[in-house]
Amino acid sequence: MNLEKLLYDSYGFTEFRPGQKEVIEQVLAGRDVLALLPTGMGKSMCYQLPGKVLPGAVVIVSPLLSLMQDQVAQLKKMGEKSVVAINSFMKPDERERVWKTLEQYRFIFIAPEMLVQPYVLGKLKGIGISLLVADEAHCISQWGFDFRPDYLRISEVLPSLGNPQTLALTATATDKVTDEIQRYLKLRQPFIYAHPMDRPNISYDIRKFENEKEKIEQLLRMVKNYGGPGIIYAGTRKRSQELASRLLDHGIQAAFYHGGMEQQDRIFVQQQFHNKELEWVCATNAFGMGVHIPDIRQVIHFQLPSSIEGYVQEVGRAGRDGKPSLATLLYVDGDERLIESLVLDDLPERHEVELIYAAGAEAKQLVEQGLVRETAYRILIYWRERISMEGTLNQMELLKKEKLRQASTIRQLVHEKGCLRQFISASFDQETPVIPPNCCGFHGIDHELFKAHRPEPKRDSAPSWQERLKAILPI
Amino acid sequence: MRFDEVVLAIMKAVDGQRTISSPYHLIKGKKSGQTIQDIGYFNLHPFFGVLPKLEKSDYLAAVARLQSTGMLEPEAEQVRLTARGFEVPLPTTPLNGWKYRGNERRFFARLSLIVQTMSCFIQGQNRFDPVVSDEAIQNWVKTYLHRIHFRDSVVQHEFRMQLESMLERADAASWQKDIIIERLSGFNIGGLTWDQIANRGKIFPIDAQLAAVEVLHASLAVLEEHQPPLLISLLEGVIQQSALTESAKRTQSLFERGFSLQQIAELRQLKTSTIEDHFVELAMNDPAFLYTLFMDATVYEMIHKTSEELKTMRLRDIKQQLPEASYFQIRLALAMRGAGK
Repeated sequence: MNLEKLLYDSYGFTEFRPGQKEVIEQVLAGRDVLALLPTGMGKSMCYQLPGKVLPGAVVIVSPLLSLMQDQVAQLKKMGEKSVVAINSFMKPDERERVWKTLEQYRFIFIAPEMLVQPYVLGKLKGIGISLLVADEAHCISQWGFDFRPDYLRISEVLPSLGNPQTLALTATATDKVTDEIQRYLKLRQPFIYAHPMDRPNISYDIRKFENEKEKIEQLLRMVKNYGGPGIIYAGTRKRSQELASRLLDHGIQAAFYHGGMEQQDRIFVQQQFHNKELEWVCATNAFGMGVHIPDIRQVIHFQLPSSIEGYVQEVGRAGRDGKPSLATLLYVDGDERLIESLVLDDLPERHEVELIYAAGAEAKQLVEQGLVRETAYRILIYWRERISMEGTLNQMELLKKEKLRQASTIRQLVHEKGCLRQFISASFDQETPVIPPNCCGFHGIDHELFKAHRPEPKRDSAPSWQERLKAILPI
Repeated sequence: MRFDEVVLAIMKAVDGQRTISSPYHLIKGKKSGQTIQDIGYFNLHPFFGVLPKLEKSDYLAAVARLQSTGMLEPEAEQVRLTARGFEVPLPTTPLNGWKYRGNERRFFARLSLIVQTMSCFIQGQNRFDPVVSDEAIQNWVKTYLHRIHFRDSVVQHEFRMQLESMLERADAASWQKDIIIERLSGFNIGGLTWDQIANRGKIFPIDAQLAAVEVLHASLAVLEEHQPPLLISLLEGVIQQSALTESAKRTQSLFERGFSLQQIAELRQLKTSTIEDHFVELAMNDPAFLYTLFMDATVYEMIHKTSEELKTMRLRDIKQQLPEASYFQIRLALAMRGAGK
């Protein structure tokens, strides 16, 4: 089969991006595949193209609703009509319609908690599945930074789906996590493709300050002297708002973005950033998904990220176009304290474990009553079916240690005396990368490269509604 | 209207008879028996459900402002306006929450996606990220656009003209119309967030949101009156035929088939008190409601007389004077008064 021709005929692209062809060839040869591809390298093409030739449907398990929606939107934008997303937020009549017409769809996105329901399984079995895709497969690892207990259940349903061929995709995985993915998904002698994670066009820098005031001043300098488009990761919602308003005060086109905003406002910020109406977005880690902008020049961390995986993911949004980009982490002594409390916040606490084990079938009510948090509930319900309370408490203790270890890796990164690029690669068990020009703070960065060429900001008064309407519909 | 004025308008109506939190539930559009009957009692139709996502903290901030400016008595659990609060003049409002039931959002979502699509196509951009992610809206808009032949430049021009004329006629201030158009996006033009709009106009985000709802309600009224051919179908499913909630409608149809209140409660496996709420709602919306099925005409008259004498709508006060009437009968009778108006 001529894959290039298929690619061109299906989606109008003339060439594959690195890794895609290797993975697709193996998928079409019928092998289980585990592919580690950095974000933004076109992971979804690895199942999109096979979906064009395989006889049955491609079922993609996706951990996050927003991610799922984004993937569906991207697929539709590429002209793919036969796509559907099944999640627990669908209205009953919508779901009914989907069940009735399920066999018409080539690409079926599904949330893991839906996949394990017997009714859903029966439906999927009925239509014939050619390929099961576990997207963001690292979510299966309880040691990972993004553990989703529902992901572990994928392996339980594989037999009732007739053990379909499986493709596991992830952007960030250490050797340990890679092993777990293979084991839990029961991959049979998989073909493993691991693209080097290193992004040679990104310069890594860490700046340390005595106090918060100096940190903010440095932020303002970087924003003014070196241009955007850029993202500032702020740590908390409140801080993202404060930073945006500081930038606005200095006449810089900036806005904030966080999960507490209504969906329409979040879409507007993405649009504005995409249109270059905004130069900077000050955000929590909720910002990133659905942002497909190749020329992001700077990513600034105003707060420590909570894991090195998260850091690499956020920094990796810069420079998708391959041009030089700058990643700067701003640090004040003591910043890690916030991180430690943040990462531990996510874990189920002892009293939550006890409540869930005592509650029996009514455990869900504990969430409604506000006694147990939704995230803790999901994790605990999974373990309650399998092990004793003592076992679970033990498990939580191990998890806590692991989270603290991840947080300490970030601390090590901050205090690393040597090459940051090498440190990052080493924490993902990757081979030592080549040192590119402008590698990192240790090897030296020529900041002249990133000098802003910003036109004087236009100080137009806001247009009247008639004028704006004419600008939107110029006809 | 500013948000504080909406709160004040409701408080004026329920003064001394409802708790401080009752305007909050009304503005949010809570579908409880109490809230729904209050709309009828106090003629609060304009404000029902105009801000369904209203945060309690935003509401309490408005209450605090009304107290600190001396409009509202402090610390009271019941709404008690000061003389000043009563005197302050309130603007008229095009709000019509009871009629539109939040469906103006569906109308605006359709409009947003239509305008974005036309904007992109006019400028040769056939692929774009839709500004509305709701699939039901996307499908509706797709069908609509094909039907009107939206690629035809004559249609595009006509669409803009009808939109412009709708807004010109709408009974709202031009700064409010600015806001609604700022919430639209097009090719290379992003919509503005509530915070951006608020910053620019030096107003609270909640006032910006309320202004948008006012313009939408005013616009819907214009569309109903003038029926511009391209825009009129955007009203499909937006204007509710019946003023009743879905659940009350089911109770009504069982009642019309001859089932009693008790039987309906059993059939529907709902509490009797819930079914009573439905009857109050039916009475409120139907001046010809046969209340004699539930009480003698003399009881009905007595309830109204007592309410007028005591100048109150408070059930407890009326009940004290008329122990022989049940709470349900009092609520029903008072609801009829609202319907008669």
